[in-house]
Amino acid sequence: MSEAYRYFLIFIGALIVYNILLVRFIALCPFFGVSTSVETSIGMAMSVLFVMTMATTVCWVAWNYILEPLGVGEFLYIPTFILIIASLVQFVEVVLKKVSPPLYRAMGIYLPLITTNCAVLAAATEAVKPGFLKLNVPYNFTFPEALVYTIGVAIGFGLVIVIFACIRERLETSPIPHAFRGAPIAFICAALLSLAFMGFSTLLGL
Amino acid sequence: MEWSIVWKAAIALSGLGLLFGGLLAIAAAKFKVETDPRVDEVLEVLGGSNCGACGYPNCERAAEAIVSGEAPVDACLSGGGDVAEKVAKIMGVEAGVRERKIALVHCKGGLAESVPKAIYHGIDSCLAAVKIAGGGKACPYGCLGLGTCKDACPVNAIIIDEDRRRWVDRDKCTGCGLCVEKCPRGLIELVPRKQEVLVVCKNIEKGAKARRVCKVCCNGCKKCEKVCEVDAIKVVDNLARIDYEKCNQCGKCIEVCPNQVIVRVVPAWTSRRKAKEPSPAIP
Repeated sequence: MSEAYRYFLIFIGALIVYNILLVRFIALCPFFGVSTSVETSIGMAMSVLFVMTMATTVCWVAWNYILEPLGVGEFLYIPTFILIIASLVQFVEVVLKKVSPPLYRAMGIYLPLITTNCAVLAAATEAVKPGFLKLNVPYNFTFPEALVYTIGVAIGFGLVIVIFACIRERLETSPIPHAFRGAPIAFICAALLSLAFMGFSTLLGL
Repeated sequence: MEWSIVWKAAIALSGLGLLFGGLLAIAAAKFKVETDPRVDEVLEVLGGSNCGACGYPNCERAAEAIVSGEAPVDACLSGGGDVAEKVAKIMGVEAGVRERKIALVHCKGGLAESVPKAIYHGIDSCLAAVKIAGGGKACPYGCLGLGTCKDACPVNAIIIDEDRRRWVDRDKCTGCGLCVEKCPRGLIELVPRKQEVLVVCKNIEKGAKARRVCKVCCNGCKKCEKVCEVDAIKVVDNLARIDYEKCNQCGKCIEVCPNQVIVRVVPAWTSRRKAKEPSPAIP
């Protein structure tokens, strides 16, 4: 297996085969919360991509240079990573407000949501912590692999949330029985979409 | 138990906490954005129901627009004159007086008063009912009472009772006008809040034809027109209409109306929750 093909497999695995939303059911709250329009879902997807990549980078440094040498990583990784993600989001928000007000206005409301987004913690933990289950095998990533994996997860999140937002926009104008309007039909659509994504399992031997 | 690991954990976590706390403090000081304190003050004055009648997505954005001069001080439609005055005070300018309005459903007929032409068994939506041969009421101008306006109201001011009559809670209604567009029959209008005497019918059929479909309709008898001293009420197209500018709210038209379709809305009565006795039918 060539180097490039391995990266490709990691990316596709994180993106589609083990999609964080539809196959692993992580981060379902923003999936239903902000998927009411395509515009907001794209904003959310971009914010998640940005924060996830940053979080994995910082978590990698924290794990390899602080937690691991001290030998406390095994039980301290969750509080540390949450601390990192929360401060990172806060930091990004403060900087963005000053540097780019339009971008802040576009992403502003999603950033606080990401602070406690389980997808960010899941991606950071899986990518950084050796021996943690990823793509269904305990496998130790190098730093570039961890980055590719995280970006794959984030784009997978964005892809699905945008697809789902398109479906929900179409649903708005569909003749749906009154009792199924809103959340119920959204849940049914999510289930069908999930079934479709389950069809990708064992793609490329993953 | 090995104590060294506890110390290490404590040092690692508190060290990271200190580090990030410090970084955030520096960032907050370095990237400080000067915000106009008036934005918060204006936001305080605006209702906060985020009705969107002003054209901005929420009250916060509206407050920003007002302070930046993008929107006028009386941009808040639901707040009306009082709010405009307060906002103008904060902004240090004079506000023109804008009248406060309230929603009124121009139909008084419930299940008891209106003649049905069919029994509607569909979903609870006026929009759907209108599509099926115009709903269950024989009157083509009557309120179907299935609550499309109620669903649209951001402040839950519209109440529909068991007799399918509509009540607008005057304490809650902000006059934002979201319900006006929703009504498939165009029965809802914004009327001046201070106006107490109101005609609550939209039927423009001739007298006998109107009477056939509803007990509480305007049949265009012109009794109100004759009794009015200030020339404020006029029957046009078989329907009495009040000129709110001229009306002195004497209530003589209420007494002569044979079908009780002109009513006086007394502020104390209209909130049904507060009324001890059954309140008069104010749609």
